[in-house]
Amino acid sequence: MPPTRRLPALLLALTLSAAAETPPRRVVSINLCSDQLLLLLGEPGQIVSLSYLARDPNASALAERARAYPANHADLEELIAMQPDLVLTGAYTDSALRRALRALGYHLEALPLAHDIATIRANIRRVANWLGHPARGEALIQRLDAHLKRLAQKRFKRHPRALFYQPNGYTAGAGTLQDEALKRAGWDNLAARIGLRGYRPIDLETLLLAHPEQFFTSPYAPGTDSLAQRRLRHPALRAATGGRPMIELPYRYWLCGGPMIADAITALQQAHP
Amino acid sequence: MKHATLILGLVTAALGLFSLFIGSNPIPVFQALLDRLHDIPSAIAIVLTEVRLPRTLIALLAGAVLGLCGAALQGFLHNPLASPGLIGTSGGAAFGAVIALYFGFGSGLGVPLAGIAGALVATWTVYRIAGRDGDTLTLILAGVAINALLTASISLLLSLAPSPYAVQEIVVWLLGSVANHGSDDLWLMLPGALTGGLLLMRTRRALDALTLGEETAASLGVDLMRTRAQLFAGIALAMGSVVAVTGAIGFVGLVTPHLLRPLAAHRPGRLLGLSALGGAALLLAADIGVRLLQRATGASIQVGVITALLGAPFFLWLILRQRSPA
Repeated sequence: MPPTRRLPALLLALTLSAAAETPPRRVVSINLCSDQLLLLLGEPGQIVSLSYLARDPNASALAERARAYPANHADLEELIAMQPDLVLTGAYTDSALRRALRALGYHLEALPLAHDIATIRANIRRVANWLGHPARGEALIQRLDAHLKRLAQKRFKRHPRALFYQPNGYTAGAGTLQDEALKRAGWDNLAARIGLRGYRPIDLETLLLAHPEQFFTSPYAPGTDSLAQRRLRHPALRAATGGRPMIELPYRYWLCGGPMIADAITALQQAHP
Repeated sequence: MKHATLILGLVTAALGLFSLFIGSNPIPVFQALLDRLHDIPSAIAIVLTEVRLPRTLIALLAGAVLGLCGAALQGFLHNPLASPGLIGTSGGAAFGAVIALYFGFGSGLGVPLAGIAGALVATWTVYRIAGRDGDTLTLILAGVAINALLTASISLLLSLAPSPYAVQEIVVWLLGSVANHGSDDLWLMLPGALTGGLLLMRTRRALDALTLGEETAASLGVDLMRTRAQLFAGIALAMGSVVAVTGAIGFVGLVTPHLLRPLAAHRPGRLLGLSALGGAALLLAADIGVRLLQRATGASIQVGVITALLGAPFFLWLILRQRSPA
């Protein structure tokens, strides 16, 4: 990002950090996405508890590191007992819980969902400022941008047609992390090409008639079975890609926006035929 | 009778062909067929042979099994309200299949085998309670009780299942659907459906003879025990295999035999083949309706919704006719 474009963001960061005078000392996160940014940006002594999902290796990119901290289940009594001076929540945190915490005088911050890399940068900055470590945020963004730049140097002769296919026939269209990662990894996201936005189901016939060359999927609940998951094993899918099997990528890449998006792009680049 | 079979066969075949033209997108079906014959793996050929053909064949096979089992049960139990949906066969099969699929025994033939076991236990239980030639009320009430138990158990199991998608699938198992299946599922249901169907067809003569009463039938060489064993094995095999793939599709097994009984000269043995053809046509027509509705509105409904919307009023009419002394 050119320095002129970064300037407004820096100014915003400065004003925000001025507002938060003393850094919070007891931070509790009850959302998987804020968990991971808290782990990356917080001082270990600052972190009181993370959500139980942060320990799940399917969902969290930092499951090992999360085990060092007590887990919470976003239960009101449990949170009060932790005496937090900052509670990090997500965009979809239960509004009743949010209201109750506010009424009791706790300081809450909500992390917006990230559907692209620009929001990932903004979220890193946001959390770093909440925690009173704006410089750490900038350093993490610089590392991420350097990583993305290295990945962007890789050129592909052709951009093969691919898409994410999830249980119940869901796919990731324009305006999703998957879309951004596929494009940056030299794939042509078919779901976006046929005009889908966000996470939507795609009809099997429409999917096949779009001439996909590769399917990706990110199992959300590995080791379980259902009719929804069986749809990924439909013989037509394999026939459509000339027998090439679906490639599985960990779901933790997409559940939350964060620096792990660079790992997702790396994996997608390695999947090129 | 010969004409009826022929006409019904032609109607079913025509529906089968027509069904290949109905999908979410218009495709050049003849070009797709040519591609397939020349082994060109084009997208249209895959849509035709891996999506539409399996769906059509699954609907035909499931409908045939439902019609056949409905006719066999009505004939054997001398009861016009008997059908696999009402006496718990479908529910038992779905219950067995749900255990196998969601709790880790779902590989290979595990699901249809569990469906067969479930169908057998549920059907046998209701039969033991109501008996052959028992009154209609006992049979239907026993069926209601077993169905309530099975529906609740299926819902409970799917709520407890480890897969996060299981709960949304309660409706598929309770109403039935032939969508989103491939040729692999067709192969999974085929062995049981064919074996069961053949077993049932072999009870034709016995069912005809039984209309004259058990003693007369015995004097004509009908072995009641043997017929009963054949019938229950056939129904469990066929219904178990089908429901394990499609879920419990209602009313086809009840309605079809009634619609066709006049054509079979009211002989239950003759009705079996006709009812199989009629069931196949009925369920495929309902599924074509589902696909047309989906193309028009984008809503994907279960085929069991259509069969219930058509079948339930028919069922009511049947009850009313039973009550009024004609």
